[in-house]
Amino acid sequence: MAGSRLERFGTVFTRVRDLIRSGVIKPKEKPLWYDVYKTFPPKRAPLHVKPVTSPFAKKQGIVPEIFYSEDKIRTGFYEQYGRGLRALDLSKSNFVSTCQRFVDKYRELKSHGMLDNSSLFEETAKALLKEGIILRRRGAPPNKSESRDPVLDLKLIDMLAEQQSAGTDTTKTTEDKNS
Amino acid sequence: MGYGCCSFLHKHITTSVYFTAFWELQLRSRSLLTFHGSASMAVRALTRGLLGFRYSRAATVASPCGGHHYVTAPSVKPPQPQADDVTEKILNQPLEKPDFFRVAELFSLKDLFDARVHLGHKKGCRHRLMEPYLYGCRLDHDIIDLDQTMEHLQLALNFTAHIAYRGGIILFVSRRRQFGHLVETTAKDCGEYAHTRYWQGGLLTNANIQYGPGVRLPDLIIFLSTLNNVFQQHVGIRDAAKMNIPTVGVVDSNCNPSLVTYPVPGNDDTPAAVELYCRLFKMTINRAKDRRKQMELLHGLSAPTSQTS
Repeated sequence: MAGSRLERFGTVFTRVRDLIRSGVIKPKEKPLWYDVYKTFPPKRAPLHVKPVTSPFAKKQGIVPEIFYSEDKIRTGFYEQYGRGLRALDLSKSNFVSTCQRFVDKYRELKSHGMLDNSSLFEETAKALLKEGIILRRRGAPPNKSESRDPVLDLKLIDMLAEQQSAGTDTTKTTEDKNS
Repeated sequence: MGYGCCSFLHKHITTSVYFTAFWELQLRSRSLLTFHGSASMAVRALTRGLLGFRYSRAATVASPCGGHHYVTAPSVKPPQPQADDVTEKILNQPLEKPDFFRVAELFSLKDLFDARVHLGHKKGCRHRLMEPYLYGCRLDHDIIDLDQTMEHLQLALNFTAHIAYRGGIILFVSRRRQFGHLVETTAKDCGEYAHTRYWQGGLLTNANIQYGPGVRLPDLIIFLSTLNNVFQQHVGIRDAAKMNIPTVGVVDSNCNPSLVTYPVPGNDDTPAAVELYCRLFKMTINRAKDRRKQMELLHGLSAPTSQTS
C-alpha cells in the first residue's frame, strides 16, 4: 500500500487526497476513514507546528486570570480567620464551606444596605456566630474557656519528683521489714 | 468477541483468548456476511489454510465499494453486483446526517464538570499550543474551556462511530499505568484493540517486518493520554501521522495537540475523567456496530447462518 510518511508536511488528509488525485492510491484502495474525514473534518487541520526555539519569539499567550468579585471578601476572610475550622469536602459538588457561608452572609448584609464596609466584616462574623459557626481569629491565643483535661496540665518533672519521694518511702519501709 | 491485548512479552499464541493484536488482524475475517470480528477456531483454521498466512491487499478479491477488502475464498462467489450497491448505500447513508449516531446525547456539560475534565495542570506546565483551548487560569491552575471540549468531543465521538460502523480497526493507546487495565477492559468490551505497554519503535512503521507481510494496520488510534511516562509526546502520535492513520486524543494542558487529528482538550489524570472517556468511547463503538448490524438486516444482506469466507 502506497503511503507518504511525511508527518511534518500537510495533514493526513491532504497527503492521502493528493496521492489519490495523482493516482498513486487507486480509488478502490482509498482508506476507510477518508470519506468520513471529508464529511466531518476537525475544527483545526492537524498540521505539524514547528517548536519555537528562539527565546525572543515567546509571546505571552492570552490566557486570562480568573477572578471573581467575591474574591475580595474571601481574601479578607482568610487573612483574618486563617484556614477555617471545617475542612473542605471537594467530593460533593453542592458543598458549602465556612468561607462560602461567610461570603453569602456578607453579600446579604451588604444588599440590606445600612452598614459600611469596615463594620460589615464584624457584623458578618457576629451573624455567623448567631447561626452557630465559631470563627477563630488567626494568631489569637486559644480560648481559655475551653475545658482542658487536667491530666494534660501535669508536668513530667513534678510527676517524677512525686514518684521518687514515694519510692524512698517504700524502700525505707521494706528495709525496716527485711531487717 | 474478538479483541486483542497487544503485549510484546507474550508472543506465543496460546489456546486462551489472548492473541497479539496484529496476529489477530491477519486472521480476522471481514466478510460481507459476518460482521462480528470473532470467528470460531475452525473457521480461523480454514481461512489460514485457504489463504496460507498471506493476507496481502493485492491478492484479495477486491470489491469496489468504500475501500473495503473482504477476505473471500476463491471458491465462494457471493452475489457481487447487488450486494455492492446495497453496501455502498449502507456506507454512505450515515454521512448525510450531521449526527447519525446521536453521540451528542451521550454526555452533557455537567457530566464533564462532575468528572473534573476541566482541571488542567499548573501554569508552568502549560503547552503553548493548548492556550486556545483554555478558559482561564485560576490561581495558577489552568482551567480547560468545557464549551470547546464539548464540540471537540462530539466530533471525535462521531468520527469514532463512523469508523466503527464501517468495520474499522480501532486501537486504544495509553501509557498511564494507573489506567492500563481500564483501557484494556474497555477495548475488550467493544471488541476492539488496546496497547498499554511499551511501544516498540517499529510497531506501525515497521509492521511488515515485525509481524509478517501484509498486516492490516489500525484505521483509528484513540489516545487516552498523549504523553508517555517521561512527559514526552507518545511516539504513536507521530507514527500514526506517518502511516496516514487518523488519531483521536485526549490532550491535557501540558500536551501538544498539533498532530492529533481530533484532539479533545480535557483532563487525562483524574480517574473519574478517564473512566468517563472510556465509557463514552465504548458506548459509541457499540452503538455504531449495532447500527451496522441493523442496517444490514434491514437491507437483507446478512444471512442468519454465517458463510465461511
